[in-house]
Amino acid sequence: MPRSLWTTPETVVLERRIVDRDEDTLVLGIETSCDETSASVVKGGREILSNVIVSQVDLHGEYGGIVPEIASRAHVEALTPAIGEALRDADLTFWDVDAIAATLGPGLIGSLLVGVAEGKSIAAVLQVPFVGVNHLEGHLYSNLLADQTAEFPAVALIISGGHTMLVHAKGHGDYEVMGGTIDDAAGEAFDKVARFLGLDYPGGPEIDRLSLLGDPTAIHFPRAMLGEGSFDVSYSGLKTSVINYVRKAESRGEQVSVENVAASFQQAVVDVQVTKTIAATKAAGVHRVFLCGGVAANSGLRQGLAEACQRDGFSLHVPPLELCTDNAAMIAACATQMLRRGRTSSLNASPDPNLPLV
Amino acid sequence: MLVLGIETSTPQASVAIGSEQGVIASAMVSRGASYNEFLLPAIRFCLDQAGIDYRNLGGVAVSLGPGLFTGMRVGVATAKALAQALSVPICGMPSLDLVAYEVRYSPRTICVALDARRGEVFTAFYRSSPGGIQRMSPYGIEKPEQLAIGLGSRIEEVLLVGNGALLYKEEFEDLGSVVELGTMSHAFPNAQALVELTVPRMFREDFDSLYDLKPLYLRHSAKRIQWERIRGSRSA
Ligand SMILES: [Zn+2]
Repeated sequence: MPRSLWTTPETVVLERRIVDRDEDTLVLGIETSCDETSASVVKGGREILSNVIVSQVDLHGEYGGIVPEIASRAHVEALTPAIGEALRDADLTFWDVDAIAATLGPGLIGSLLVGVAEGKSIAAVLQVPFVGVNHLEGHLYSNLLADQTAEFPAVALIISGGHTMLVHAKGHGDYEVMGGTIDDAAGEAFDKVARFLGLDYPGGPEIDRLSLLGDPTAIHFPRAMLGEGSFDVSYSGLKTSVINYVRKAESRGEQVSVENVAASFQQAVVDVQVTKTIAATKAAGVHRVFLCGGVAANSGLRQGLAEACQRDGFSLHVPPLELCTDNAAMIAACATQMLRRGRTSSLNASPDPNLPLV
Repeated sequence: MLVLGIETSTPQASVAIGSEQGVIASAMVSRGASYNEFLLPAIRFCLDQAGIDYRNLGGVAVSLGPGLFTGMRVGVATAKALAQALSVPICGMPSLDLVAYEVRYSPRTICVALDARRGEVFTAFYRSSPGGIQRMSPYGIEKPEQLAIGLGSRIEEVLLVGNGALLYKEEFEDLGSVVELGTMSHAFPNAQALVELTVPRMFREDFDSLYDLKPLYLRHSAKRIQWERIRGSRSA
């Protein structure tokens, strides 16, 4: 097929609207990488005018985890109303918007496709730039959005059901991945342990709730530190030892305290993540720590990291819950910064489920 | 009124722009680029060839499937976003209707069978009616051998069309002259038929709700099917 036919210059180079003042740039962001459908308008990369998040938790609950096909279907139904509501909340029309941003990856391909298709279509109609955003880079901007004192450079712990990553954010668009998980994401480990314990989906908040009722020192679960200089983490061993502990106790006919198991498991995760984050921050030579992603809602992690940061004289920045979980405001904020650097995508842009941060 | 039509529910994707005077521009690709990479450049191409711009469009038409899930979703998502940004009405049409519409001059009963993968076909029966087609059955999904049995028990002659009919044509060979098989040129739904069928709906203001419009899957997600099977066997 003559591909060149479809890639005439007009389809790529868009009539770039001139924004008089950079701080007035209005970006409509779209986020559909996983199981939240979100649309948001952000002004000047810092002021959230609207941030609509439609959660699919109820749809996936009965399956005990995210079902990609169900997520994709839900995005098709939820995204158009979410965009309409985001504009209404911001008291704007499409024609006020200076650029459209959508998450390009990483994430579930079927889910990403919906957001990218809609974002590109709106950009084509309005003749404004389309900005494809890396979801992980977006998470970094949730911190900048939430807190005007938050600035790069910083070391960010991006922690959720889909990712667990330590990033040295040196400046806008200048990142170094210091470490990640070699198996499960932290949130995934929470969900798997919760499912094993028979808790409701999503399991993370349930474990956090039960932890407050249990003794975190009751059971010693292993902390996989993976060597001195490594900022990587591993959760498969911890998950297995929780399962083994419960099975052994049950085979001996002992009553297992779910609260103590939850608290001890959560403490093990917190210890690992806090140790690695502080070590990475020292190694990077910065004094600011960002905590973002869905697991940032975990009370144990927040408290553990806050204490450790205070001890070492680092400032800790944690966004409010609606910016910790996946949301389109962070995508719009990130896109605003990319626009400043002249980084836009073509209308042929395709999502990449494995898009790397750098 | 200029209507943009989008059809991406089978391996053959197409877009077309037309009015009550007929289609003025179209683009089609078979097993080529991904739907997501094809659509907007193809629409741009049609707009340019027709000498118009997005703002000249008075409505958006989209094929709802049944068909390939990813294609249907990219098509419906794109159509919804275009209609939303342009503030124009949207109409959805089943892919099976589009195939039947193309062979509407046949005196035979029309049976459309589109490949549903996993050894099944999406089906519906039609007969021609003044100015168009009339559907005689619900939209269904079945195995080709089941469809063949159904066709064999019919008294009237049938024209069997669609890529599903061609894919499983040996299933229908024993039915003899009662079943005539359509050719490759009428095997796929296309955006030109979509535009032709939708223009009258646009004039009647028989629009779909932008927020409620969704693809016609005719099949639950694999996970749900598996889940219901487990639940079914437990309760049995
Ligand atoms: Zn995320």
